[in-house]
Amino acid sequence: MQSLGASEMNKVMSNKLMITLYIFPALFLIAVLIIVPLILTGYYGLMDWNGIGSMTFIGMENYINAIQDAAFWDSAWHSLLLALFSTLSLVIYLAVSMILASKIKGADLLRKIYLIPMLLSSVAIAQLWIKVYNPANGILNTILRGIGIENPPSWLANPDVVLYAIFIPILWQYAGFYILIYYAALKNIPESLIESAKIDGANPLQIAYKIKLPLIMGVVKVTIVLAIVGSLKYFDLIYVMTGGGPSGSSEVMASYMYDLAFSTNNFGYGSAIGFLLLIITLIVTIIIRKLTASKEDIQY
Amino acid sequence: MKKMKAVTFLAAGCATAMVMTGCNSESSGSGDGSGDGEQKTIEFMHLWPEGSSKDHYDIVNEIIADYEEQNPNTTVELEVLSNEQYKEKLQVTSTSGELPDVGMTWPGGFLEPYVDGEMFAPLDDVLDEDGLRDSYVEGTTEAYEVDGSTYGLPLELNVAQVFYNSAIFDEYNLEEPETYEEFEEIVNTLKENDVAPIALGNQDRWTGSLWYMYMADRLGEDNLLNQAINGEASFTEEPLVKAAEKTQNLAANGAFTQGFNGLSDQEAKSMFMSEQAAMYLIATWDLPNYTTDETVSQDFQDAVDYFDFPTVEGKGNQNSYVGGPGVGLFVSEDSDVKEESKDFVKYFSEKWGEKSVSDAGVIPATKVNTDNVDLPDMYLEVLDDLNNADNLTLFADVQMSPDVAETHLTAIQSLFGEEITPEEFAEMHDEAIEEDQ
Amino acid sequence: MGRIGYILLYTCLALVAAFQIFPLLWLVLFSLKDNAQIFSGSPFALPSDPQFGNYLNVWQGGIGLYFFNSVWITGLAIVLTVLFASMATFAITRMNWKLNKFVLGLFMVGLMIPIHSALIPLFSMFLSVNLIDNPLSIVLTYTTYNLPITIMILLGFYYTLPREIEEAAVMDGSSINRLFFTIILPMTTPVMATTVIINMIYNWNEFVFVNTFISSDEYKTLTVGIQNFIGQYMTDWGSIGATLVISIIPVLLAFLFFSNKVVEGISSSAVKG
Repeated sequence: MQSLGASEMNKVMSNKLMITLYIFPALFLIAVLIIVPLILTGYYGLMDWNGIGSMTFIGMENYINAIQDAAFWDSAWHSLLLALFSTLSLVIYLAVSMILASKIKGADLLRKIYLIPMLLSSVAIAQLWIKVYNPANGILNTILRGIGIENPPSWLANPDVVLYAIFIPILWQYAGFYILIYYAALKNIPESLIESAKIDGANPLQIAYKIKLPLIMGVVKVTIVLAIVGSLKYFDLIYVMTGGGPSGSSEVMASYMYDLAFSTNNFGYGSAIGFLLLIITLIVTIIIRKLTASKEDIQY
Repeated sequence: MKKMKAVTFLAAGCATAMVMTGCNSESSGSGDGSGDGEQKTIEFMHLWPEGSSKDHYDIVNEIIADYEEQNPNTTVELEVLSNEQYKEKLQVTSTSGELPDVGMTWPGGFLEPYVDGEMFAPLDDVLDEDGLRDSYVEGTTEAYEVDGSTYGLPLELNVAQVFYNSAIFDEYNLEEPETYEEFEEIVNTLKENDVAPIALGNQDRWTGSLWYMYMADRLGEDNLLNQAINGEASFTEEPLVKAAEKTQNLAANGAFTQGFNGLSDQEAKSMFMSEQAAMYLIATWDLPNYTTDETVSQDFQDAVDYFDFPTVEGKGNQNSYVGGPGVGLFVSEDSDVKEESKDFVKYFSEKWGEKSVSDAGVIPATKVNTDNVDLPDMYLEVLDDLNNADNLTLFADVQMSPDVAETHLTAIQSLFGEEITPEEFAEMHDEAIEEDQ
Repeated sequence: MGRIGYILLYTCLALVAAFQIFPLLWLVLFSLKDNAQIFSGSPFALPSDPQFGNYLNVWQGGIGLYFFNSVWITGLAIVLTVLFASMATFAITRMNWKLNKFVLGLFMVGLMIPIHSALIPLFSMFLSVNLIDNPLSIVLTYTTYNLPITIMILLGFYYTLPREIEEAAVMDGSSINRLFFTIILPMTTPVMATTVIINMIYNWNEFVFVNTFISSDEYKTLTVGIQNFIGQYMTDWGSIGATLVISIIPVLLAFLFFSNKVVEGISSSAVKG
């Protein structure tokens, strides 16, 4: 019966027409509206072009310049740091989701409140955090002075701290996103599994670590990829809150690319940076996939 | 499977080919035809949204309404975007030959790529008609010149001035300085009394640039700064290095608000306007805040005054200003309604010159006859300054190419933040200028 | 856990909750201030002279039409994204074909595009098919740019769906369409609700594409309302705040609704281990 079902299933699921029908809308849209622009970005990268007038083919010059461009590597390093911190924060988000998904009282209300900040647009978030970081009358420095710290730093002006200062709102902005995904995954775990573990005498921590985590590992791996890719191309808050400054100390790849392409009319060079951003993201993603690969039949 | 792959790749390939070949398949969609007496449409894109710039927005609409009344065959279609979005859209539409028929451009470095790409029409014929050129303040139309042709009709003229709070000055018996040495005294007095001397939001970078530009203008005397920017002199010449050094010392000395490199101009402005800082160097586009804007307290407006940037070490001339024209009108070279558009921009700039100062508090690039307008005193003073100006040193980011300007602005932030020495600051400029030529 | 443990836990949870709800409160206060109060006073401070005029400004800016456009463009794009993404994910995880890994790889590459790289190519493409200044260009762009992330999120869940249910359905002679629409989609309601929320937030707050592809006022969306208050030299932050408050209300309501779906779907669908 089981094998008969499986082979029947196999046959039905190999219907070429149906496969085409199901994959085509997404594939077509992504190919035309995303992959083509990506290819074109690589192509513009081969041009000397100000993004306005006519272009001249210059071969690999932009790419070679980019590879020798210290400012680009600085921005890439900052992006990689953001990716690292985003990935590490997943642990916190996961822990919070575990608590919210457990059967404590008020979990439902708490979950809704916790996710509210993710609804805010970047414009609002940037304004809020500018108020937090204002060196003179900002929330943070007011508190720090209140507890006796005489000279709290000027968070967004100090090249040594600005990058980390700007990471915090970014991580906070995306917390809701990951908590929501983890929450849905945790709720997807059959109640019976947890009940039987409880009967076997497992404590909540053991259940979380030994039962829940392995069951949602597939989802966790997806979020790792999302966190890394999202961080490497991150742009919004950095552009609004610091503009990559002071003196490039909070520049990331996407803001560097934007400045080149749209502010200083180096569209060709900016495109080359954009394409390298893609290559770097691809390499990092492949490495991560290899590192997190398991024997299970799950691939991302 | 194969079929599907083929379809997808075909589609992708088509799209790629379409884009690569430039996609000029359709010319500017304006103009419903070219026959006589037919209705023509001029697309006009500007950056004065109703919400933030009501007065500007209203004047534009009035002028358009008058124009349409006088030219019943022409309709003007508006699109309004905010500053940043405007710039982005202008660039994106230009690559597909879809620029609006009439729009706004900035002078100097911003304009050049559009001129190189033959996107903007030369407007010399318009300027030569009815002596329009003579109605502009000297140095304004020139900022829109590339290789001898003018590509924009300037609408605004701004010069930077040091605004100060006279209530605070009075409290500590301070007076408008005429020399930089007196100015330093003022800064020291204010600091001793725990008053933040100068509001500066240097996250925007051009704000810090104003300080250096003035310092270099004064110390460099006979146009040394302009020559250096044009690559005819070096930024490492002593007066210019000294200008950088003095600017840096001012910052190191605590003259500016704490954390200025992380503050936006908007935040700095608010500190000045809420009387948390005594001085603020800003261009005259801010005049409405200090005069006519009803949302600003009367007490504050009464207290605000301004002084010309002082001479430094006895050098320079207080009648030399750092400033420049802001936005100007362009006509698209590929426009289907080019002649109509030229006629429209001419009409627009004339009317704008008449209305802008009295109705929106914008100092136009055209000469203003102060006899006929009822203006707050501060405006009259500024207009008087402009009439008696001996020199106008254009804003750095107007004079420089975008690449050099970017280097300059980054260097300014580093100079203020004491991450580079004045000598390194000078070398960065020379290198960028050399590379650009 | 002991009593003290619970008290500690709840104190922590409540603190975080206060921290998370604060921005909403702050935004409302922000929307009632003028620039001077916004930039010089404490963000906690109550507006000394509430600027209800900010809301009037926003209303006069023609927000009604923008609001309507935002709703239908966001809604349509969400439906298309979630449907196409579900179909694609179903095909990738359940159907047997050779290129599925390659196609999945392509989708993942789609995640990696910085949107500003895409502006000029997309503008040319839409222009060549006459979709510039047509809301369809926005719907298509939103749909497409959310597809990769939606597929990625769905993927993790599809792998965990038990195959037995499908096999049973197939044995009963169910067609693929019926299997997909009547069994798979209902089973994935919680994760679909999750992706709906995520899509909604992205689409609702997007402005770069709208501003670039749309010129006519009649097709612009709420984020344009914000642009309305950004001037060349002056920005009216209070009115931007008022626009943000107005525009967050529908997302908040929709969020609360779909947030319940994230939980509901599970208990009602018959997922067995």
